[in-house]
Amino acid sequence: MEQRQQIEELIYRSCMALDDRDFKGFLEMCDAGFHYSITAYSPEIRKDMVWLDHDKAGMESLFTTLPRHNSDHSPLMRHATVYTVKIEGRHAEVVSALQVFRTALDGGATELFAVARLLDSVGLDGGTPKLARRVVKMDTRQLGYGYHIPF
Amino acid sequence: MAKNSAEWAAKPKFPSSHYVDSRIYTDQAIFDEEKEKLFKGSWIIACHESEIPNACDYRLFTHPTGVPLIIVRSEDMKVRSFYNICPHRGNTILYDPAGNAKRMTCIFHAWSFDTRGDCIDISRAEQGYQDRFCKEDAGLREVKAEAGFGGFVWVNLDDASCTLAEYIGPALDMLGPHMEEPMEVFHFHKAIVDTNYKLWHDTNSEFYHDFVHYFNRITGMMQPGYFDRKYVGYPNGHASVGSMEIKYDAYAGGKVRKVGWPGLAPGGWILIDIFPGMTYNLRTSVLRIDTVVPLGPNKLIVEFRGLGLKRDTKEERAERVFDHNTIWGPFGRNLHEDLLAVHGQGRAMREGTDSRWVIHGREENSTIHDEVGMRHFYAEWSKRMGRPSYDPLGEGRPAPARVAA
Repeated sequence: MEQRQQIEELIYRSCMALDDRDFKGFLEMCDAGFHYSITAYSPEIRKDMVWLDHDKAGMESLFTTLPRHNSDHSPLMRHATVYTVKIEGRHAEVVSALQVFRTALDGGATELFAVARLLDSVGLDGGTPKLARRVVKMDTRQLGYGYHIPF
Repeated sequence: MAKNSAEWAAKPKFPSSHYVDSRIYTDQAIFDEEKEKLFKGSWIIACHESEIPNACDYRLFTHPTGVPLIIVRSEDMKVRSFYNICPHRGNTILYDPAGNAKRMTCIFHAWSFDTRGDCIDISRAEQGYQDRFCKEDAGLREVKAEAGFGGFVWVNLDDASCTLAEYIGPALDMLGPHMEEPMEVFHFHKAIVDTNYKLWHDTNSEFYHDFVHYFNRITGMMQPGYFDRKYVGYPNGHASVGSMEIKYDAYAGGKVRKVGWPGLAPGGWILIDIFPGMTYNLRTSVLRIDTVVPLGPNKLIVEFRGLGLKRDTKEERAERVFDHNTIWGPFGRNLHEDLLAVHGQGRAMREGTDSRWVIHGREENSTIHDEVGMRHFYAEWSKRMGRPSYDPLGEGRPAPARVAA
């Protein structure tokens, strides 16, 4: 039970780090072979799509360059609920629901921005669980003028 | 020097071809007129052939005029288009955005239609209509549809329109050699933005806004050849921008693109705008297509497609998808910046803000930061609308100041 709690906390802390734009902190929760993807199924073209796909170095590069770009500065809040944790030896598969809220800087109105599933693989070597792979499987495909920072 | 009210309202000190009255972006009556005069008789991209590869495959498309359309590959493999409106009680016939339907049956009263638009069954027809009305009287409204220019399916609501080839003319000649191989859509998404459709098309018609894109400044503007790219205008309001070699590896973490495109020089980039709101954007390894579907003067859907080659290996396709997503995906570096910029225009120009003029005054021998692409568009807009874009309400003088909200 304690291990499950550690895994759940990892998922929640990863969301909080991204909310806080603590990219260094987020990457510290990921192991060296970390891989991150955003995917979605399009009923319009009847195909699975990949919207973002990076290894750990690619994520680091993304986080480094984004401040040089023009972006929406509204903060996001990622609300995750861990549904299932399947532990197999030194590895766990975790399925969570994700809701992403965006709050306008002017006036502070909050809107539901996106819903998705987080499909995480978690490595359990070394005592501290680490993210080995994250797939953000988007239900929402209409993001208005969008956002630069991944979910 | 900052301006007072009168100075703000005064016409810009440019020829009238070099600015527009910003009410063309906000006025409801002008918007309604645009649907009739610009969109109804224009050829519009509804989808790509690869989205309906098999007999009876269909795809739904909301035409910019608001008309709901079915695009279907009939059993003879010809692509046809019909109103998605049941001729009985005006109901929607097909609901899912894509699928396969040998018979298209309205759920309301079970009238059925084949993929040629013929009604093939009216439930309890004889009992209700006797000999006064039969299935031969109940066909779907067919719309002109043609596949071409890279396998895209184009539709036109005007039965008396010119052909697709006449409409496009030479505008896509530059891309012709690069679209001979079959292509395939791998990406589709829509963005709804509070802005006018012309502002999105403007963004695709000028590169001066590369200042908003860190990626383009580093990989393009700072590289040799960038300022040599030239605009060419074509009949019917279309325009193109010539190629250069993009230095993708100049961006931190970037790399030279591993896959190219048939006939296109390494790092090449060709962009062609089709009036009144479509863009072909072939950038090294990926073709992106934008189609605008305006919802109102200040509300817009842009449909984005990314295409590769049908013959791609799994590895080649993955490279193209990666390249696409880096700048053009929903989390890509450039797309968010472009959408944010036109959102900002919509916010600043919406009714009541006292926005007055939009200047298209740059002249640089038709090269990349010249605003001739937009001027070419608005010359065509003015001709088709019968209104000069610089004086759309025929006032012949600066419009009276509007009260700021």
